[in-house]
Amino acid sequence: MLKYLLKRFARSILTLFFILTIVFVLVRQMPIEGYFPNFEKMTQSQIENGLHQMGLDQPMVVQLIEFYKGLFHGDLGVSRVYNRGKPVWDILKTKLPLSIQLGSLSIVFSMIVGLPMGILMAKRKGKLPDHIGTAFIVLIQAVPAAVYYLFIQLYGTELMQIKLRFDPADFRSWILPVLSLSLGNIAYYAMWIRRYMVDESTKDYIMLARIKGCSEGRIMFRHIFRNAFVPMAQYLPTSFLNTVVGSIYIESLWSIKGMGGLLVDVIHKQDNNMILGIVLLFACVGILGLMLGDLLMVLFDPRISFSKKGGD
Amino acid sequence: MAHILSVRNLHVQFTLRGRKLHALRGIDLDVEDGESLAIVGESGSGKSVLNKNFIGLLDQNGSVTDGEIRYYGMGDKLRHYPGAGVDENGSYIDLAQFKKNEDWLRIRGSEICMIPQDPMTSLNPLKTIGWQIAEALMLHRGMKGKMAYEETIRILEDVRIDNPKRRYKQYPHELSGGMRQRVVIAIAMACNPRILICDEPTTALDVTIQAQVLHLLRELKEKYNLTIIFITHDLGVVANVADRVAVMYAGDIIEIGLVNEIFYDPRHPYTWALLSSLPQLGHRGEELYAIQGTPPNLFKEVRGDAFAARNPNALVIDSLQQPPYFDITPTHRAKTWLLDERAPKMEAPKQIGKIRSLGHPSAPADAGKEAEHADA
Amino acid sequence: MRHPKIEQLEDHVSEALKQDLGIEKLFSVAPFDEEEVERTGDSDYSYWRSTFRAFRHNWIAMALLVLLVVILLFTFVQPYLPGQFDPNTITNGENGLPLKNQKADSVHWLGTNSIGQDLWSRVWAGTRNSLIIGISVALIEAGVGILMGVLWGYVRQLDFLFTELYNIIDNIPTTIVLILVSFLMRPGMGTIIFAMSITGWIGMARFVRNQVLIIRDRDYNVASRTLGTSTWRIMFRNLLPYLVSVIMLRMALSIPGAIGSEVFITYIGLGLPIEVCSLGNLINEGRKLMMSPNLRYQLIYPTIILSVVTVSFYIIGNAFSDAADPRNHL
Repeated sequence: MLKYLLKRFARSILTLFFILTIVFVLVRQMPIEGYFPNFEKMTQSQIENGLHQMGLDQPMVVQLIEFYKGLFHGDLGVSRVYNRGKPVWDILKTKLPLSIQLGSLSIVFSMIVGLPMGILMAKRKGKLPDHIGTAFIVLIQAVPAAVYYLFIQLYGTELMQIKLRFDPADFRSWILPVLSLSLGNIAYYAMWIRRYMVDESTKDYIMLARIKGCSEGRIMFRHIFRNAFVPMAQYLPTSFLNTVVGSIYIESLWSIKGMGGLLVDVIHKQDNNMILGIVLLFACVGILGLMLGDLLMVLFDPRISFSKKGGD
Repeated sequence: MAHILSVRNLHVQFTLRGRKLHALRGIDLDVEDGESLAIVGESGSGKSVLNKNFIGLLDQNGSVTDGEIRYYGMGDKLRHYPGAGVDENGSYIDLAQFKKNEDWLRIRGSEICMIPQDPMTSLNPLKTIGWQIAEALMLHRGMKGKMAYEETIRILEDVRIDNPKRRYKQYPHELSGGMRQRVVIAIAMACNPRILICDEPTTALDVTIQAQVLHLLRELKEKYNLTIIFITHDLGVVANVADRVAVMYAGDIIEIGLVNEIFYDPRHPYTWALLSSLPQLGHRGEELYAIQGTPPNLFKEVRGDAFAARNPNALVIDSLQQPPYFDITPTHRAKTWLLDERAPKMEAPKQIGKIRSLGHPSAPADAGKEAEHADA
Repeated sequence: MRHPKIEQLEDHVSEALKQDLGIEKLFSVAPFDEEEVERTGDSDYSYWRSTFRAFRHNWIAMALLVLLVVILLFTFVQPYLPGQFDPNTITNGENGLPLKNQKADSVHWLGTNSIGQDLWSRVWAGTRNSLIIGISVALIEAGVGILMGVLWGYVRQLDFLFTELYNIIDNIPTTIVLILVSFLMRPGMGTIIFAMSITGWIGMARFVRNQVLIIRDRDYNVASRTLGTSTWRIMFRNLLPYLVSVIMLRMALSIPGAIGSEVFITYIGLGLPIEVCSLGNLINEGRKLMMSPNLRYQLIYPTIILSVVTVSFYIIGNAFSDAADPRNHL
């Protein structure tokens, strides 16, 4: 088990390294004029001087090594534009809690709604609840989130008589953003749990349970559900990523002072260290979801054990 | 001997994309209490479909269009029976009239139980062996806790599983195929049924295990006075375990008789062909006999004798009119025009004669069975 | 192929035979036709015919397919119809000022936007460009993905490289890559198509790679090869039917995905330049006016067409993949 965890951890570090390096190189390709607000009026030496101050005149490899040196000591550098001179981590620290609250609320909410919805659809397969559920899934998956987020904001705020701007102190203000952020995952969970339940229900062991004389309700909850739930664990990482991506849009739409809205802001401002810091956090969320999914799998399925997986 | 199950003129149809498939075409069959009956036939002959009717597991698109399935095993339980299908005199219940799942819950497991084909996939992978057996005890015998545990251990011993206390806590993936088949049998025994249907109980197992499993089934049959229906295409299994044999072809039973009658004195050309294709009857240097063609397409109406088209010696009437049953002995009958007095005399292929010399079916087991019949 | 008329004819013949034949004749041995025997269980199954029949039976998908084809054709025909405006030209009213936020009338069929451009022609120009983006992304993903997938599967030395690459791309929100690349490159159709394709191909490649491994290892393919079937035949007969359905489904789903991403990236301000009409640009313009109820139509019209297009692709893709699944055939 320890061997497996170590191996898993090493892989994650490697993946993080690749991601950060790629993003680092990409960020360094940004146009020079973006770093200086009054680029046109500057002389060549002023520009060189400015680049030198930011360390951008050095070869890429040197910059990269410097970056990793800092990262190794837990130093993400300082913000250049967004909050001049302030360490990136200090800025992110203040933004993080709100995003985590929003994200975890949404994941919990989408499970609470999505799983029962999928179960109901599987149970009433081919009947009205299944058709309604399928229509919902098609609509949510086909219509771009960017569009239905807008309409939820537009009509939801009108209906609830609240402001367009998010206010963390007001309970009502949380409802619409969390709902918007959850819809995609609700459809996603419902679709997969329905599919797995329908798949499982045709398996041989369900036939034996039926032969044994189990009632349909018992078959559904004692036999099918857990077997259908186990493969769901592999969709946890994707739903984490969905939430992160959704939050980028939702947070800027509702002016929520979290990480997602921040990313768009700092890319426009070419605040390199900030961009890298946020990407690092987002990648960590993705990897965390992946590990959590694996862990759940092992917990629920006796066929998979840490030692076996480690041996692959 | 008393019937426990009587099938009368059973027709089953499946609907596939608007087309009707006539899977069972008027089956008549009596299963006697305490016997072991083998149903043989090619894949697609309808043997599995027939048995699925007994336990209410016909696929959604299939339905009984005509006929009765009388089950006589309920006895006094029928007196205040709440469900459908009970006969006026309360002597039997007609399973073909069941509509609701609740009706079947009173039959499945406790009256009629089945051992599915593949033990590798028939157990719930996420539950322990013990849990799965104890569930049957809970459902049918109301046992819980320590009582269920002890009974489970006893049943595990019954099906010859070593170290039952350790096995109780194990998961299916930790067991071999033969062991899993024993666990499936244990689940069936925990249900305590009158009739046990074994659907190809040995095809998924290797040969040494096959013999053990068949031996176990014979033992359990004696111990619990079970009626066993074997579905199989393995004539070796038939010779080993069956008292009687029913031969199915294209959704109908074309010949039925005691195991000796079918093996030593078959009458239907299809039974001849089936037995002739036994590899043991082949001659070195000669090509092994194989039946030409494929079974008829049951989407189309079958006219006359369904086997006629593949039978090189078919009579003209075979392709025009369906033959009725002709009795050969009180226990042996076949549906073929060859048994009509007007038909030309036709001999069974000479390979069939060799079956006797093979010592199939095994003599000692048979002697015992015949004694039983005499007793009854 | 059997035919009811042939069936009927045969009935007549057999009836006639019964009457004419004597008892002896009935019980004589019939002639045996070996070819007829081999025909008894014959099924006239054809994969593609069954696929198209199953698809045709899905009337919702058929209706949407017709609708989508009509929309697609119309987006290209529309500029040549009489009475159309240029999507970027600002119309001036009689007083010489731009006709801003004009209500729908016989001249401007859907009214004008906040700077006086004709909304009808903008909606169609936007649909045209969004469809071009979506279809291009789907084609590039399929092309690159299939090529890379075949390489990934066949060239074992590349397996490690591709697998690592897949792990990375699968682990980061692809939106971040999309945002970064869009920011680095000059805004335009090419950029946006490139940015979306850069991560999208790997999913397709992985699928194709797995199928390539299956060609090698699946029992029925090994069996088929042992019987002397050529690799090409295995690919076409055993593999292609399965492959085509999934590839079509993936393409059909990546079109609405790409159209949606364009809306998103335009909202962030990294999308197409304003002079290039797209559904993203139109929705973004509409969004700015959405708080005034009588101007909301400028958001709603593009949204309707966008939803119709994306939902249609989604449903058609799913319906086709269902129809292509042999388990759903007769």
